[in-house]
Amino acid sequence: MSIVKTEQLTKVYGQGATAVTALNRINMTIQPGEFVAVMGPSGCGKSTLLHLVGGLDQPTSGQVLLDDRSLSGLKDDDLTTLRRRQIGFVFQFFNLIPVLTAVENTALPLILDGMKQADAHNQAEVWLTRMGLGDRLSHRPDELSGGQQQRVAIARALVAEPTLLLADEPTGNLDSRAADEIAALLRQISHEWHRTVLMVTHDPRIAAHANRIVFLKDGTIVDDTRLSDDGQYEERVVREKMAVMA
Amino acid sequence: MSVRNAILGLLAHRPRHGYELHDAFEAMVGGEQNWDIKPAQVYSTLNRLEQSGLVVEDGVAQDGGPEKRIYMVTDAGLAELRQWFNEPSLSDRRRDEFFLKLMLSLVVADGDPRRLIYTQRAGLYRELHALTAQRSQVNPASQLAYILLLDQAIMHLEADLRWLEMVEARLDEISRQPIPEPAERPRGRPPMDGNR
Ligand SMILES: Nc1ncnc2c1ncn2[C@@H]1O[C@H](COP(=O)(O)OP(=O)(O)OP(=O)(O)O)[C@@H](O)[C@H]1O
Ligand SMILES: [Mg+2]
Repeated sequence: MSIVKTEQLTKVYGQGATAVTALNRINMTIQPGEFVAVMGPSGCGKSTLLHLVGGLDQPTSGQVLLDDRSLSGLKDDDLTTLRRRQIGFVFQFFNLIPVLTAVENTALPLILDGMKQADAHNQAEVWLTRMGLGDRLSHRPDELSGGQQQRVAIARALVAEPTLLLADEPTGNLDSRAADEIAALLRQISHEWHRTVLMVTHDPRIAAHANRIVFLKDGTIVDDTRLSDDGQYEERVVREKMAVMA
Repeated sequence: MSVRNAILGLLAHRPRHGYELHDAFEAMVGGEQNWDIKPAQVYSTLNRLEQSGLVVEDGVAQDGGPEKRIYMVTDAGLAELRQWFNEPSLSDRRRDEFFLKLMLSLVVADGDPRRLIYTQRAGLYRELHALTAQRSQVNPASQLAYILLLDQAIMHLEADLRWLEMVEARLDEISRQPIPEPAERPRGRPPMDGNR
């Protein structure tokens, strides 16, 4: 069983003469615990792929399956719930709420999902501590460096214990040192916490942290390269490890 | 040449015997995964350096044995080392195997230059991945030297990847140009030079 599978996934923006085919029949399978980078020239469809996999947008044709379940068959409410519980998103701009502390920002998805504030804050502290921010829990975004803000955003993405983390240029707004640290953290999230990570980047140094790179060009996959198997386990092992952590 | 001069340098640092030199060299370069030399290579180099008068024997280590002869650098050896320091170290990047493959893939039947580029790119990324993993194991507080060494290799790989990207972007353009042929030479013997 794969965690992500796309079948003939196609996205066309617009219609008629101005139509743009952003993705053209993408077939891709990702196993649990993989750390996959998506690379390719600007406009080749990287963000579109991430949005479709995350259910933020609908394909024109073809489908996305998460854990063998097609997103196309889901009602809006079910899709929203699945997105909140199964998928974490991280973007280039951290999108934190300025007036909230690190803990409050991180706990927000849990509170929106109906969890009691005290429980949500506890769980937020666990993930912030894992992100190395145990001593920054009450800081507001403007009191944190760019790298630290992105760590808060990652903690927020993981706080609901999703199996899949989608990251679109997560280091695009950071200097090279902070970028390397975030990439190493994403690697740890895959290797130690057994989340599946799908990350878009145009930076070779960042992509080199992943175990696999999918190269897109003009909306199609032109190459799919395994970099190494270190930190990658059999699917059964990953699922067991995740069950223990939950 | 670099191993020979490195041995001179290690002896200029302090006298050592052959096995110590071998270990000191490997430690300096961050282990045999980075630069692997054999003890035999160290001993034969020491012999040649001794014959050239660049090193001399400086006693035998306490626990004896023929492998434990301790060497020190001579004044001539120090002069040689200084001269090495005074020359820039340049590698010739124009002799590039991948470039040969690329040019020939453009002209031979079934040549697939784009696939060639992707294969090369995959290889470079695997290397970059391995070096990135190695670098993350190094302690920056005590092993700055290895970080510098790995960063150098990483930065060269990044440059190689950037260049490949450029080649891919210009592939159609290159494909339309014939690969360079040798300049036409007149047939037969070269003409006699009559102006002498
Ligand atoms: N909402 C939209 N409406 C119309 N066209 C769009 C829309 N979003 C993306 N596109 C087009 O689809 C193509 C793919 O866009 P996408 O954002 O996926 O590229 P990308 O690979 O993420 O690029 P970048 O590296 O610049 O972020 C582009 O040609 C883009 O202009
Ligand atoms: Mg994008």
